Amino acid sequence: MSERGATTGSGHRLARAIQRSVFSSAGFAPLLFVILLAINIWLNPARFAPAAWGTLLGLAAPLIGAAVASTPAFLGGRGGIDISVGPLMGFVNAIVVLVFIQMLGVSSPFAIVPAALLVGVAGGVVNAFLATILRIQPIVATLGTYLVLVGATLTILPAPTGTAPQWLSQLAGTWSILPLGCVFLVWWAICRTPYYDQLMAVGSDDRAAYTAGVPVTKVRFLSFVITGLFSGAAGLMLTALIGSADPAVGPTYTLIAISAVALGGVSLAGGRGSVIGAAIGAIDIFLLQSALTYLNVSTFILQISYGAILVLAIVLTAVQDRYMEQRAQRAGS
Amino acid sequence: MKSLSTDQRRALGAFLIAIALHMLGTLLIQGYSSAFSMRAMLVLASLLAIASIGQTLVIILGGIDLSIPFVIGFANVVSAQLYGDGMSFWVVCVIVLALALVIGAFNGLVSGGLNIHPLIVTLGVGTIIQGSVLLWTAGFPSGSAPATLSEFVSIGGSAMGLPVPWLVPCFIVVIALITVLLVRTPYGRRVYAVGNNPRAAMLALISPLGMWTLTFAISAFFAAVTGILLLGFTGSAYGEVGQPYLFQTIAAVVIGGTALVGGRGSYLGTVAGALVLTELNTLLIGLGLQPSVVQAALGLVIILLVSLYGRDPHVSTRI
Repeated sequence: MSERGATTGSGHRLARAIQRSVFSSAGFAPLLFVILLAINIWLNPARFAPAAWGTLLGLAAPLIGAAVASTPAFLGGRGGIDISVGPLMGFVNAIVVLVFIQMLGVSSPFAIVPAALLVGVAGGVVNAFLATILRIQPIVATLGTYLVLVGATLTILPAPTGTAPQWLSQLAGTWSILPLGCVFLVWWAICRTPYYDQLMAVGSDDRAAYTAGVPVTKVRFLSFVITGLFSGAAGLMLTALIGSADPAVGPTYTLIAISAVALGGVSLAGGRGSVIGAAIGAIDIFLLQSALTYLNVSTFILQISYGAILVLAIVLTAVQDRYMEQRAQRAGS
Repeated sequence: MKSLSTDQRRALGAFLIAIALHMLGTLLIQGYSSAFSMRAMLVLASLLAIASIGQTLVIILGGIDLSIPFVIGFANVVSAQLYGDGMSFWVVCVIVLALALVIGAFNGLVSGGLNIHPLIVTLGVGTIIQGSVLLWTAGFPSGSAPATLSEFVSIGGSAMGLPVPWLVPCFIVVIALITVLLVRTPYGRRVYAVGNNPRAAMLALISPLGMWTLTFAISAFFAAVTGILLLGFTGSAYGEVGQPYLFQTIAAVVIGGTALVGGRGSYLGTVAGALVLTELNTLLIGLGLQPSVVQAALGLVIILLVSLYGRDPHVSTRI
């Protein structure tokens, strides 16, 4: 799979540099964002007034979190993907509400936040071990953990139950910027380290990276762990939003997060894209849902337009890529 | 030729696991090898294996098809609806299968032609199809299955005096046809060639784009066939009927030893994979486990099986 991506990606640095400066490597997602935001504000000014931004962001947060979490695994290339992000969020949700709050009676943020992140990291380490040390194809490895996590969540939590503490619910309202901000801060810090360059190098061409002395396995291992860490954070955002433990909600985030990532211009073949792009892709999907829900169209039309915009946006991004490449080739020859 | 023998070994391994699981079930659960349960497992495994034909071809080609469950649901609902409106069943089949071919060709054309990951194209197209079908039926599909179709897939049916429905002998013919298609025809050799190395295939005057379009069309075709067969199996239409097949087709292909990187694999392996999954599911449910525990155990077993023989080479061996 990555072989196909690499053929277009290699040797066209100029084209990529141009593209990066023009569209900041997020494809058509930023443009779509502006259009959709304008439509939304026009349709429903009250909902998009500054006073409501906290709640609004809280509503979008789990999807943004899931998209951001899915990104590092993709960036590593060679079929890197983590489809267990959604179920891991659901599992974190169940552990936090059921085990910590209901069974142990612990509701301090200083216990719950580290615990949620730790569960996420543990899930990420398992995926990383399976996909990089055992070298099972990532989609199959994470399909396995997907099924295990969904099964485990349903076993400990057959039906929705429990309530989230006040401080957590506020993280989906007034303070919704806080968890997302922390995630972006962590990723920003990672981008300042050599690790980020190594990840992008491995994603672009793992063989070249390996011969250049990059520890390919270690780099990919860490990318799955980061995905797990962010999934833990996204699980907290989900808990904050729904305010209870619900076994059915988490798994639904997997496919929609992958769509958001692709919409945001992250190459599913690795080595290209950004977390910001993925977040914008997620916000696009949220805004689309929000506008169509306001127009009171049936969920069926919502589904159709969501699929159509996804296909259209990636086709346009691919066409634009191709155009840039051809222009670069002509300029080069 | 060497890679072929690896494929055969892997397919054989998966068959042996299926047989071992069956013996385990017979030992542990009373009535596991009864005529009824054997027939039920055969029918379920056949349906899964037919749904996985497309996934096998597409994965050997180097892609992946996530639109299979949506096309299954589409064929299921549309054929019931049209048949319920009084159309002849054969006309219904032709319409549904032709539409499926168009959907699949679109998948292959877009992802192959623009070099977009098929994961996202098939997912997007699948979402559009599901939404359109729901819109058309307003969420409440009606219609029914013709009696001949129900008879064809019924667990209690019989064919040529054998205690299995016609589906099973037909399915065995399909296995032979698909295997011959892959191993003995130019089309089959081209699928392997493109999956191994698209650029080398192009130099051998194979059009990767044409192969992608054709193969994704075939994939959607067999997904639609599964959808129609499932209509006969359950008796009424249900748009979500294909959902379990999303990951099960991938799991069947991988357990059967087909590598997700493309260029290797066999349909016999997938058939063995479908048998393994069906046996495992029946065994775990027969042991009285909750569906949620069955799901978790299935995940563990998939990881275990694939770690035994489906591992990727280390990057240092690829240079």
